[in-house]
Parts: sequence; C-alpha cells; structure tokens
Amino acid sequence: MSLIGIILTFSLVDNIVLSRLLGICPCVGAPGGMRMTAATSVATSLLMSLSALTAWVLETFLLRPFGIEFLRIPLFVLGVACIARLLDLAARRMVPQLLRAAGVPLAGIALNCATLGVALLVVRGSFTALQSLVVGLAAGAGFFIALSLLTAIREKLEVEKVPSWLQGLPLHLISAGLLAYAFMAFDRAFLSRLLRGW
Amino acid sequence: MKQSRGFLGNNPIAVLMVGLCPAAAVTGRVIDALWMSLGVFFVLVLTRLGQGILRGLGQQPPGPPSTQPALAFRRGWLGGLFLASCFTASFELILLAFAPEEGASLGIYVPLIAVNCIVLDRVLEPGTPDDPGTGKGILRSLQTAAAIGAGFALCLVVISLVREILGSGTITLFPMRSFGGTIEVGGLSRAPARALISAGGGFLCLGYLAGAARLLSRSKRQGEANGGEEEAKRA
Repeated sequence: MSLIGIILTFSLVDNIVLSRLLGICPCVGAPGGMRMTAATSVATSLLMSLSALTAWVLETFLLRPFGIEFLRIPLFVLGVACIARLLDLAARRMVPQLLRAAGVPLAGIALNCATLGVALLVVRGSFTALQSLVVGLAAGAGFFIALSLLTAIREKLEVEKVPSWLQGLPLHLISAGLLAYAFMAFDRAFLSRLLRGW
Repeated sequence: MKQSRGFLGNNPIAVLMVGLCPAAAVTGRVIDALWMSLGVFFVLVLTRLGQGILRGLGQQPPGPPSTQPALAFRRGWLGGLFLASCFTASFELILLAFAPEEGASLGIYVPLIAVNCIVLDRVLEPGTPDDPGTGKGILRSLQTAAAIGAGFALCLVVISLVREILGSGTITLFPMRSFGGTIEVGGLSRAPARALISAGGGFLCLGYLAGAARLLSRSKRQGEANGGEEEAKRA
C-alpha cells in the first residue's frame, strides 16, 4: 500500500474512532473545549506513532525470530505504557503548557485502547517500519478529526434545548453514531478513484 | 448488597460509561458479546486476585489514597498492567483453542481487554475502598470485580440482542448438537435494519441505552421521594 493510501485509509476510511470504534471514552467522555482536544490529540498521535514503530520492532526482531508470539500482548502493553510514561515526563520538561492545557497527566489520557489497537493493526497488516510510523501518524490524525468534530458538535449542543434524559453523554454518543454514518461515505473505492484522477 | 452497586447502581456501561469501545464494537452478534463479557470477567477477577496475592506477599505495597481522576499513574501500575495483559493473553489462547471462529471474529478486541477502561480503572486505582491491599480483604475485592464484570456482561448482552435482532433478524448463540447456533426472528430476518450492525449503530444503541438508564434511575428516585412524602403525611 502506498503512503498516501495508508494516510487516507487510517485517517478517513478506517477512522480509528468512528470506524474501528477504538478510543471512544476519551472522545465522548473527555471534558473541555478545543484546547483540551488539541492537547489530547497531539499526545495520542505521538503515542500512536511511537507505539506502532515499537510494535513493528518488537514483532520483527523479537517475537517472530524467537517464536514467542504468545507474549505479544504483555510486551506491547508494557511497551505502550512505558512510552506513555516517558512521553509524559518529556512533556513535563519540554512543553509544560501542553500539560496545563490537558489538565490531567498525558500518560493517563493517551494510554487507551486506540493506541494499543494501532500497534496491533500494524502487526496484523505486515507493514514496513516507515509504513508503521505513517500508520500511527495517520491514525492519530483520524483521532484528531473525530475528536475535534465531536467537540465542536458538543459545544453547539450545549446551547440547544434537548430532552433532559438525553443531555450530556447519551447525546454525545448519538452524535458520534450519526458522524460514523457520515464517515461511511469515505469509501475505499471512491478514494482510489479520486486518487487516480490526480 | 454493596456488590449489587457494581452490577446495577455503578454499572460500568449504563451508569459510569466506561469500557464503551467493546460495547460498541463487538455487539453485532450475541455470541461475540458473550465471549467478550467472559473475557473481561476473567481478566478483571484474576487480575484483582493476582494483585491481592502480590500485595499480601508484600511484593507490591498499596498505593496512596486516590485523590486524582481515574487512569492516572500511581505506584504499582506497571505490575497491574502486566498482570492484566498476561491474563488477557491467556484468555486469547483459550478462546483460539476452543472457539477459533469467534476468536477470529473478535479480532483485535480480545487483546484490547488488557487496556479496557474498566480493567485499567480497577488496576490503576490502588487505595480504593475495595482494594485488596487496603485490609478489606481479597474476597471483597473479588466480589466487586465479579459484580462489575457481570454488570458489563448484562449491558453487552442487552445491546447485542437489540442490534442483532433488529440489524440481522437473528440471534447467534453457542451451537450445540442439533442446534446450529442461530435463531431466526420471523419477519425481521427478511428485511433487517442493516444500519444497526455498522459502527454507527453501536454508538446509537449505547446512547439510547445510557438515556434509558438515566430515565429509569430518575423515575426510581422520584418514586422513592413520593413514597417518603406519603409516609411523612401519614405520620
């Protein structure tokens, strides 16, 4: 698969939140506005790309050569958790304003099923190292698109009159459902025809 | 009675709204929901047991009291994560050995049990009242974990029943002898609402379930308040 194909697939067609249904909790449950959304997305994208690369390295140089694929889950989970922790420590030193925007530890919000899911998708897809990194970045971009759209919808709905029993999270989930139906328009065949035109 | 709080009062999906990814992703068929529920129950209970035993042996000291939101990193988080991931790997091997078709159907969602928000919430939250290291004992911790796992299973089965019946017109269960495993719902199987099986259907079902849970809890509270007023008037 070409790099453009990977970017389009993992950011739009197979959007990690709206199509793969991963990382729903930070998307629909996280409080805060666009600033928080940007901070969460940056942290998650970074973690996704690093996790994808780490998963590729572990799979290629450790799990397959030694025939210990049954240790994949513990190794990946520990790898992703350690990267999340290191990212948190690095962010504390280098970009403390990002942490202030997020309000909670980055490692806490970034370690979710979406980050481990991307690592597992990379391994199942038999990508190269560069492709794995691009998969992580594209999935992070998809996460940002979904999270920013859902935040924008939530901000609009906050000033609208809605039935009291649907206020808050139920309405966010229903909005996410309708957005997921809209994302079904990003069909693989449609995008490939569009790319051929370029 | 406190254990029932994890099952209904503090139900992870309907009330606390955590662990939503598998609830939306694997509820297209009832059998997938049953296997996923079994996996989360297995990992949750055994991880709590493992944590309790390790703390009891003094290898992992209890963490400080919880003062921050869930999922923050504290002492012992890596050990808890490692335990959860090991039990998840064990469950995946068991699933692939006994039900390879369902294992393939669930795909990456089985390994993701290790970082499921419900499991992370329990694993990374030392110092909670039911924590095995805080002196209340392993048994209470296990009871709470089992109640949460059962509450999660109940919600997953309800969502999957709604989605599969309306979206496919079938109910898929475990095949046994002459029973092929699939029950066709008359009428619906000929013209199902396929949109409910897609990703958007998962979100919609979850949203309406959360709304229904809120309505139920409100009416229950109102009923209790009305009952209290009547008693006060009688007195």
